[in-house]
Amino acid sequence: MIDETSDRSPEPGPGTTRRRALMLGAVGASAVVSIRPALAQTQASVINCEIPVPDAGRAGSYIAADGSVVPAGTSGAFPPASLAFKGDDVKKALAGGQLPGTTYEQNQAYVKYIRRLQQGTSGFTCFASLQMPRG
Amino acid sequence: MAERLYRAASAETLLIEPLDEFTLIFHRASGLTHLVAAPAPEIIAALDRDQISAATLLERLGTRYELGDASDELLQARLDELVAIGLVAAL
Repeated sequence: MIDETSDRSPEPGPGTTRRRALMLGAVGASAVVSIRPALAQTQASVINCEIPVPDAGRAGSYIAADGSVVPAGTSGAFPPASLAFKGDDVKKALAGGQLPGTTYEQNQAYVKYIRRLQQGTSGFTCFASLQMPRG
Repeated sequence: MAERLYRAASAETLLIEPLDEFTLIFHRASGLTHLVAAPAPEIIAALDRDQISAATLLERLGTRYELGDASDELLQARLDELVAIGLVAAL
């Protein structure tokens, strides 16, 4: 006989397995913690990853001196970079170097843009991985 | 009215490592690692690549587990979390 309210599961029959208890939990209590991708990056991917300026979703837009993305043709802003920058180039730029093919002011604007990258923007994972201390 | 259907991320994009009370899930598609507790891994396994409604999922979980607190609302809360982190797709 199977008693549905019993704490003890019935003897499993042939071809069946005993069911494990499972709680769905409370509505407000999340069962999930996410770990940012920076922790999962390797040194090799840092060198090879790319950061488009601006990201693909805003391709063609200009980059203002403060790093914000502004409409194409905005006075005082810089046109988008023709090629995505390599992780290695960005790493050098973050350390005070200059991105390839940029003027001093353009480089400053692009670096500010990269520093402001948010999760979900292309290039963010690459940028996040550049923040990692050397292992 | 068309019911919303759910489907888990494909197994090839997930690296799942149970660690006692928790389960680590590395999602290759997003590069994110998630530390999840029950019932998240059970929901992902029960959904698999099928496209099913929350009601069907609850039924399926009920056949696999002794659900201590089976409710549409609670399952919806868990599903919403999994959709938010990209491990489950709402179709």
